[in-house]
Amino acid sequence: MLRTLLRMRKPFTRSPWGDIAATRRRILGAAAGLAVFLPIAAFAAHGASPLKVVETTIVDAPPEKVWAVVSDFAHADWLPGVARIEASGDDVPDQARRRLIMADGGVIEELLTKRDAERMLLGVHREGDDVKRLPATNYTALITLRPAEGGKTQVEWKARFYRGYPNNDPPPELNDDVAIAAVTAMQRAYLAALKTKVEAK
Amino acid sequence: MPALVAGIHAKTMRCAEGKAFKHFALAWMAGTSPAMTARVFLSIVILAAPAIADEAFVTAQGADALSIVDLSKMQTVATLPIGGKPAGVAVSRDGARAFITSPEGKFLTVIDAASRTIEKRIPVEGGPLGVAVSPDGKRVYVADLYGRRLVEIDLAGGAQRSVGVGAMASGVAVAPDGKTIIVADRDDNALSLIDAATFSRVATIAVGKHPFGVTIDASGARAYSANVESDDVSVVNLASRKVVATLKCGSRPYTVALAKGRVFVANQHADSVSVFDAETLAPLQTLKVGEYPEGLAVSGDGARIYVANWFSNELWAVDAQTLKVLGKAETGDGPRAFGAFIRGTK
Repeated sequence: MLRTLLRMRKPFTRSPWGDIAATRRRILGAAAGLAVFLPIAAFAAHGASPLKVVETTIVDAPPEKVWAVVSDFAHADWLPGVARIEASGDDVPDQARRRLIMADGGVIEELLTKRDAERMLLGVHREGDDVKRLPATNYTALITLRPAEGGKTQVEWKARFYRGYPNNDPPPELNDDVAIAAVTAMQRAYLAALKTKVEAK
Repeated sequence: MPALVAGIHAKTMRCAEGKAFKHFALAWMAGTSPAMTARVFLSIVILAAPAIADEAFVTAQGADALSIVDLSKMQTVATLPIGGKPAGVAVSRDGARAFITSPEGKFLTVIDAASRTIEKRIPVEGGPLGVAVSPDGKRVYVADLYGRRLVEIDLAGGAQRSVGVGAMASGVAVAPDGKTIIVADRDDNALSLIDAATFSRVATIAVGKHPFGVTIDASGARAYSANVESDDVSVVNLASRKVVATLKCGSRPYTVALAKGRVFVANQHADSVSVFDAETLAPLQTLKVGEYPEGLAVSGDGARIYVANWFSNELWAVDAQTLKVLGKAETGDGPRAFGAFIRGTK
């Protein structure tokens, strides 16, 4: 049961996670694994208008069980398209980082910005931007769990980001609508994967 | 009642015969004859909605609107459609007008604060973001985020002139005597110091990484910049034009406000406000606030601070002395309130 709080203004058809040959996957995966684990520039240039997308779902499991999966920042291999994860920083906010080695050979690096077990709230900032993968920049997510009826859990995945083009008068492929549609689709996929992962346990 | 005024005005903005309709509507609300003159109607509006309490003019960027919050009730009492993704705000010292920047729409909206109506829109090229008003209310200074410039708008004549500043000009502050203007040159990691009389850049001052919000104290002695990427605040002596101290804050400090001899800093990622003693610069406390705090401003009497929380769509009131949370008001989506957003009564 996904509920979009922000209306999608354009249909999103492109999958952010393309299929790729297994050979290339192995080669690129190995190359990424060899790369030195260095923090990259945390903040890219961006404009004046942050965007917000809020997606929620109900997971048929108690909050503690969902939190156990969501809060395991270093092992979130349930995220769609992820082949494996390299992590450092022991889940300490503003220190813990993870490299999502994608099945397509790409790499997404993320910083843990918040981890509040009491409020069941996790914050993640995407380090560096790749508008070919996600036509948005400075993506920051807040994932909040709340008890729902019948011992279930409401998971809210909300994000702050900017459009892919950092200045005014963006080209059509990097405007606000495209960024909102892409982030909406991505967060829906994340929540669906989380639901599948937790409910299968 | 004020909400009704705003609602009716919003309709008049799209109405071809807007002016006549507005006068009729206001007269109807006041229970008087529509045949009366405009001058009389104006005084009725002022009597009908007196500024008995401080108000917050909160730019709700996601909602494309301005939320006006009655701070005695902590309630949004009016919503004005602005357009162009409003972000920056400055209320004139006398409380007569509020100025709102729309970086996507490339214009500045002038609000008549008492009647809560839009007076006019002034086109500003580039990406108008940070905004401040001269103490006499005659000139407005707007930072163009993309154009490496600060724009001065003469409100009476409408003339604009600009001075070159650094990359991604963000926050703007004017000294209490009106003689000096400070601009945060975000991507240059510096502040530009502008002489208001000649409208020329007289100095640049290196500060922390990515300064965004800037504030000048009541005596005009010091400026403070919130440096988003270095998680600190630079304290600048304006006479010597030097950084005299650096205050370590929470993650992603965005704006600074000064009240009760204290320095308040909103930390976006930490969901907190850092508090320092303005004299000793010693850290006093870290307050938990709403999600993703951005705009920070002080009540007219200096007793409270207000913080706009972008993710949770709330304005929080905090006692500047006891540091207790006094109340919360719901705002439109995505409150930025970037600037001096309080219309004080004292």
